[in-house]
Amino acid sequence: MNHTVTRIERRRWPALLLLLGVLTACFGLLAAPGNAAKEDLTGEISGVMRDAQGQPIAGVSFQVTNASGFTGSDISNRQGEWVVPIPGPGQYVVSLDPATLPAGVTLTNPERTSLTVSLLSNSKTVAFPTGAADTTRESFLDRFLQLAVDGLVFGLVIALAGVGLSMIFGTTGLTNFAHGEIVTLGALATFVFNNFIGLPFPLAVALAVVVCGLFGALNDWGLWKPLRKKGVSLIAMLVVSIGLGILLRYIYLFFFGGDTEQYASYSGQPGLALGPVDITPKVIIGSVVAILALVLTMMWLGLTRNGKASRAVSDNPALASASGINVERVINQVWIIGAALAGLSGALYSMSVGVNWLEGFQLLLLVFAGVVLGGLGTALGAIVGSLVVGVLLQISTLFLPTEMKTVGALLIMIIILLIRPQGLLGRRERVG
Amino acid sequence: MNAIDPFEPTEQADPLQPGSEEFMEELHVDAEQRTRSQELTTREHHLATSGNALLRADELVAGYIPGVNILNGCDFYVDDGEMVGIIGPNGAGKSTLLKALFGLVRVGSGTVILKNEDITNLRADRLVRQGLGFVPQTNNVFPSLTIEENLQMGAYLAPKQFKDRFDYVTGIFPRLGERRKQRASALSGGERQMLAMGRALMMEPSVLLLDEPSAGLSPALQDEVFVRVRDINKAGVTVIMVEQNARRCLQIVDRGYVLDQGRNAYTGTGRDLAHDPKVISLYLGTLGAERDEGTKG
Repeated sequence: MNHTVTRIERRRWPALLLLLGVLTACFGLLAAPGNAAKEDLTGEISGVMRDAQGQPIAGVSFQVTNASGFTGSDISNRQGEWVVPIPGPGQYVVSLDPATLPAGVTLTNPERTSLTVSLLSNSKTVAFPTGAADTTRESFLDRFLQLAVDGLVFGLVIALAGVGLSMIFGTTGLTNFAHGEIVTLGALATFVFNNFIGLPFPLAVALAVVVCGLFGALNDWGLWKPLRKKGVSLIAMLVVSIGLGILLRYIYLFFFGGDTEQYASYSGQPGLALGPVDITPKVIIGSVVAILALVLTMMWLGLTRNGKASRAVSDNPALASASGINVERVINQVWIIGAALAGLSGALYSMSVGVNWLEGFQLLLLVFAGVVLGGLGTALGAIVGSLVVGVLLQISTLFLPTEMKTVGALLIMIIILLIRPQGLLGRRERVG
Repeated sequence: MNAIDPFEPTEQADPLQPGSEEFMEELHVDAEQRTRSQELTTREHHLATSGNALLRADELVAGYIPGVNILNGCDFYVDDGEMVGIIGPNGAGKSTLLKALFGLVRVGSGTVILKNEDITNLRADRLVRQGLGFVPQTNNVFPSLTIEENLQMGAYLAPKQFKDRFDYVTGIFPRLGERRKQRASALSGGERQMLAMGRALMMEPSVLLLDEPSAGLSPALQDEVFVRVRDINKAGVTVIMVEQNARRCLQIVDRGYVLDQGRNAYTGTGRDLAHDPKVISLYLGTLGAERDEGTKG
């Protein structure tokens, strides 16, 4: 995860511009397929040059070339940043001029002054590490452990969002495509409480969770309950949720803007080395909070009267009603809990990746993958499935390019579902 | 599966079993004429006898789809402590009547009154609060919940009395107590029926509505179910039961209703109806004329 994190943190272009860039590129290709040689510089290769102590290095010269004769160059600025615009995806050679390195600074691998990189998307960061080689980080097992821990941490974020999605699906049958926007709301609310109002971070997160829970209740009360009452079909409701998601995303974009921002608290926290694994204290605490929230949710479902009632509603709403359960009230509680968990997911996720208007939406596919993998409608399944997706995603970067990691995880999901169509923890019903 | 099981042992012993096809047809025609001519008298009979009813329904019109009514002005009542059976051919509206009483089917016109209180179209969970218990024919347990949790859901509105009622229900159905930690999805059809009844009994209902409790069970299990239902009734619970197994049902109920095409065709004591040639003909008519209209009975 660390790689993704730093990449997003350092990206200077707002996400919106990137999106526009991709769109323009697509339209450009559609309109003039024969015009590819014309130099529309829609992509970029960039990086940040730092010394072994993490201080930026200015004045280092970089050159980017490709086989069809493109050349571009840049010199790192005072923040150590350099950007070379490029025509788009493809294979490029990035080279650093070692003569421009300041005295006393050497590359970790002095032979490695030029790198061949393949771009599947429009942008890529390239790092030239400096200082003595950190041999302990090179072993395969150590990398595996680091990625597994990163994966579990990420899996917890997915699980927090997934449990709510799964519970809402179970009790109402709704596949909520706007669930990612509740995740984003959690991050945005935390950002507002922490950065604008200046509340301590834990309090900001707690308030954001409350805001999201209320938002969930409002969602159900104002939109989904009336639709259920009118007997609107589940497919139609799914489409409504897609529309709601788009609406919310652009409301966020309008008020928050397209940039990725960091929380005021703990944004540059240094990592701890626990054996071979690097992890920041905030991530440890965040993960403990996430585990606690998941355990509490499972206890609610398994031990409390209304938690059991919510499982009864999932099994059979008509029978639940015939048992004296007020089905609508139980569904409303499920919405509150599900949305609060999604909010916590967003608040914690943004500690690592920053706050962005699209973060929940980008997470949503993985949340769906986790929920489906674990077995639709079972809360424990959603948790297990999400952890598996998170770990697979990170581990797959050992074998696949980082850009392909989502593809690898989803591929494994498809394979598992072919073998176990009911999901990892889903049960086949006894019929009759 | 039709109303009369050809392998049913009681059938041979029945002295009123008609012998020839002509006899059956003749009776069937006679029955239809009588249904039309006695509409008024049935209504008057209902009004005359239902004075002390615990639960009553008057001129119910109800259906699943707007404009397609299954019930066309149905009258029904049950006295306190009584056990009433509802029988009739497939598609007659038996289950629909039960569901209309319990608010699961929207009542277009007519009223349902419990203890002098109008409960027409009240939400099901409110009716449970009022003392009604309902056991659907199928999907009548929560499969992913344990047996104990199923019974807890039955006592959802009164969690404090769970322990007492749990002891009471497992006293009637000991197997539920033995398997309390198992998921309901692991139960057989008969055990599910027991659990479904147990769940409905958790709230100490004054009226228990059973929708075909014997459906899909072996003859031995059917007998067991009927014995339990009789016991429950003897303990003071008013029982309304819809049954496909009409003969067996009429043997144990105090009073029966025969429905045809969404109306009351006949009412009377279980014994009278069981020996009424017109009632028998209505059933034989079902077998002969395939009156199944594709709706659930």
